[in-house]
Amino acid sequence: MSVAQPLLDYVKALKPRRSFTESVSAMKRLLGYHRKYSLYVALTIVLSLARSYLFTLEPLYTSLIIDQVIVGGHSDLLLGYLEIILLSGVGVGLCAFAMTYVQGVMSQYIIRDIRSEYYSSLQEKSFSFYDSIAVGDLISRATMDLQMADSFVRMWLGTIFNALFLVGTTFVILYSVSPTMTLIPMATMPLIFYFTSRLWVYTMPLFRNMQLILGKLSSYIQQDIIGMKTVRIFRRQGDIVDGFKQVERIYVDTAVAAGRMQAIYMPVSSTLLSLGITLVYVYAAYSTLSGGAAFTVGDIVLFARYLMRMSFPLRDLSQLLGTWVIASAGLERVFEVTDTHRVVEDLPSARDIPITKGKVQFEHVTFGYSKKRPVLTDVSFTATPGEKIAVLGATGSGKSSLIYLVPRFYDIDSGRIAIDGIDVREFKLSSLRRQVGVVLQDVFLFSGTIKDNIALGRPDASPEEVVEVAKIARIHDFIESLPNKYDSEVGERGVTLSGGQRQRMTIARALIANPRILIMDDSLSFVDARTEQEIQSAVEEATRSRTTFIIAQRLSTIKNADRIVVFEDGRVIEFGTHAELMAANGTYRRIYETQFLGKAADISNKGGDLK
Amino acid sequence: MSGPGPSRWATFSTREEEARKRTTPDRVLMERVYGYAEKHKRSLFAGMASIVLTSLTGLASPYMHQLAIDKIIVPGDLSGFTWWIPLFVTIVLSNHLFQYIQTYRMRLVGENVVADMRDDIMDKLQTISLRYFSEGEIGRIISRPITDANTVRIFLRVGLTSILMDASSILGAFTMMYILDYRLATLALVMLPVSLLTIWYLGKYSRAAYRRAAVVTAGLTARMQEDLAGIKVIQSMVIEEKVKERFEEQQDSTVKANSRAILISSSYMPLIMFLRLIGTIAILWYGTELFGTAGVTIGVLVAFTEYQFNYFMPLMDLMAMYDQYQSAMTAIERLFDLIDTKAEVLEAPMERRLELP
Repeated sequence: MSVAQPLLDYVKALKPRRSFTESVSAMKRLLGYHRKYSLYVALTIVLSLARSYLFTLEPLYTSLIIDQVIVGGHSDLLLGYLEIILLSGVGVGLCAFAMTYVQGVMSQYIIRDIRSEYYSSLQEKSFSFYDSIAVGDLISRATMDLQMADSFVRMWLGTIFNALFLVGTTFVILYSVSPTMTLIPMATMPLIFYFTSRLWVYTMPLFRNMQLILGKLSSYIQQDIIGMKTVRIFRRQGDIVDGFKQVERIYVDTAVAAGRMQAIYMPVSSTLLSLGITLVYVYAAYSTLSGGAAFTVGDIVLFARYLMRMSFPLRDLSQLLGTWVIASAGLERVFEVTDTHRVVEDLPSARDIPITKGKVQFEHVTFGYSKKRPVLTDVSFTATPGEKIAVLGATGSGKSSLIYLVPRFYDIDSGRIAIDGIDVREFKLSSLRRQVGVVLQDVFLFSGTIKDNIALGRPDASPEEVVEVAKIARIHDFIESLPNKYDSEVGERGVTLSGGQRQRMTIARALIANPRILIMDDSLSFVDARTEQEIQSAVEEATRSRTTFIIAQRLSTIKNADRIVVFEDGRVIEFGTHAELMAANGTYRRIYETQFLGKAADISNKGGDLK
Repeated sequence: MSGPGPSRWATFSTREEEARKRTTPDRVLMERVYGYAEKHKRSLFAGMASIVLTSLTGLASPYMHQLAIDKIIVPGDLSGFTWWIPLFVTIVLSNHLFQYIQTYRMRLVGENVVADMRDDIMDKLQTISLRYFSEGEIGRIISRPITDANTVRIFLRVGLTSILMDASSILGAFTMMYILDYRLATLALVMLPVSLLTIWYLGKYSRAAYRRAAVVTAGLTARMQEDLAGIKVIQSMVIEEKVKERFEEQQDSTVKANSRAILISSSYMPLIMFLRLIGTIAILWYGTELFGTAGVTIGVLVAFTEYQFNYFMPLMDLMAMYDQYQSAMTAIERLFDLIDTKAEVLEAPMERRLELP
């Protein structure tokens, strides 16, 4: 029924239990990234030990001032004690500063390593991976999610060791003043521990669910906005908003429930420690008056103050867990992508093989993006060296898929594709792709100069070589007309190129490695007559003496091809020269007569208008 | 181009309009947000009252210690515990209770307000002109119900509470200090402008460093955007290794810029702590000199150093909140900008629709 049903189902099915083990494995993995920076880790620990020790000096000497200077009247000691307090304060400050800095820098390195690994893995992912995921999503994992991880990594060591050492040193000092009275704060520790762990057992799954629901809601909103036109056409607005509101309510309820748990348990540790102070006062006062162990006012103040301050590191510790919940969700999303199998891989036996002739054989090739629905079925034909083959068929007939199989952008399910008689899987991917020139339908240029873009695949190409391929691609004259010629910047800050110019750039780019085999997705059809002609002659020149597979929209390209292969529903239905296929009086002839003759008339009309 | 008054919101603002500084006064924005909170009026007032009560009961604690030391422990008059213990325990427990009410109620209000605003945005999105959904604009529209709403949520969850709590803590601490001893309180007050200036100055520095780091990070994002959009070209040209290398270089410069920002911000907290310590030392020194003169007892000194410790933390917090407050106000303004956008093509009435063939 509702568009939001899958989202609602997802939210309702969220399981709190499983998340815990996932978060543990993410932590283990994160720890692994610390190994390279063990020096930073060690430094953080040492600094936090020093900081904790120095931090305890201030209350200690305050109590000495009370006992010896104020009560005892030794005013000569005051300056010395104040000096120690000041110096310890400076020490605490320096340690804290160094700790924050060391941890922050370490976190930068660790996040960088995780991001690099993630990004490297992205470079290796197959086309099928990119067909199924949005670039925006990939970027947000590398930025937003890792930012969450960063805010955890830059504080976790310090927070944990700080709490550990501070509580430790405090106990040592308290013990030296009064072993019996130390039992009071000691008794609160298990209680604090118990209540804090309660808090996290209850809230951690809630927080995680909140993160996940929020993520889903965001992508739901995105889909609605991006697809707004469709939504309006089908009048699904009501549906979409109702579903959204339902999920939003679930989110609010979860957030409020988590807030309630936090509200109950968060203040527990400071409340317990404050109540402990009451016991300290009573015990110390009675003990002193009844002639037991005697306590000075300074001792009592010392105990009270330590009890109050102990709640700070404990509170930090409990907040750290909250940071972790969010960070681990982010890390999981990153690792999920990093770990995705790359699908198209080098065989162990793969090697560098030079392509000398350029014969390409398709033998009973079957291929589909999902196993159930093949896009190509039992395709067999052979392109002889230097031959130009035009690939023809309706949208979705599998013609793009066919040419993408030659450089192994996808792997076939059965059959064999061979170049010069050698299975393409015997080639190393890098070796194969370097020798197969590709002109994609998407005429993508990188920011940089024109020369950079043409020499993309061969940065060592000489300026003469760049000019040569630019001439073949019929783009040289245009480049020469630019003020900076081959050094002109393209992209956002540089010159803007038309679709036709971009296409000729990509042709030049594909030729720079002088490939024996060229595949071209020449689907750019909405251009004016002059551009049409220029592209045409560029294509003619580029494909000369190379084995070429070209997906063609243009009549001239098709007629100039040596042979034409016609696809229908993933099968080859006709294969031969223009004359042969016309004579066969089949599908090709029908397409030729209805589609191309009509379009050719159309184009010449447009050309007429331009004049 | 557009007239004055709320009608200028009838259309979704352009990119240039958005880049400009905020134009709506905070008061107006607050009032409109209050409009959403009105449904939860009781929770809101219970929450706000609890915030103030939390900080007041928190402030009572050092004063109670002073009483325990001066009236019970030093004179050795244990009978005083009969009133002191119940009173102190009551204060501690009510502090806990107020914290509970405050956290829970404010969460309730905050989450509901943001959810209601977001629901209104979703409703509005379905009716405003399709031309707002053109390719270049989509990112901007998307960021309203997602990023901006999130900023407001975080502000209502922690920011608002912190501001109220910190402000009342600081005022309360100074009031208590003046009650205890006006000379020592004045000494503490003198420290205030110095601390404020330092915090402000450092904040400016670190903000600038973070802005620079943000620019570098934006470059990293742009790099990824381009590489991933051109991934098929990269793979067909077999330049993955080169792309990886280039990315590493960009990452290294990001690390460098961020590390510089971290260096500056790392000094923030220690410096503040140091200033606090100077205050403590001044009070201990001057307090010891004053000891024995009118009203300065051991209990007063102890309570004083504690109050002084207490007002510094909220002060820092408050400074940190300033940025959060500003960005929340910007986000709120943007949300209303969208909510107020006029629906251009209204749905045809039901009867009319039925007439269609």
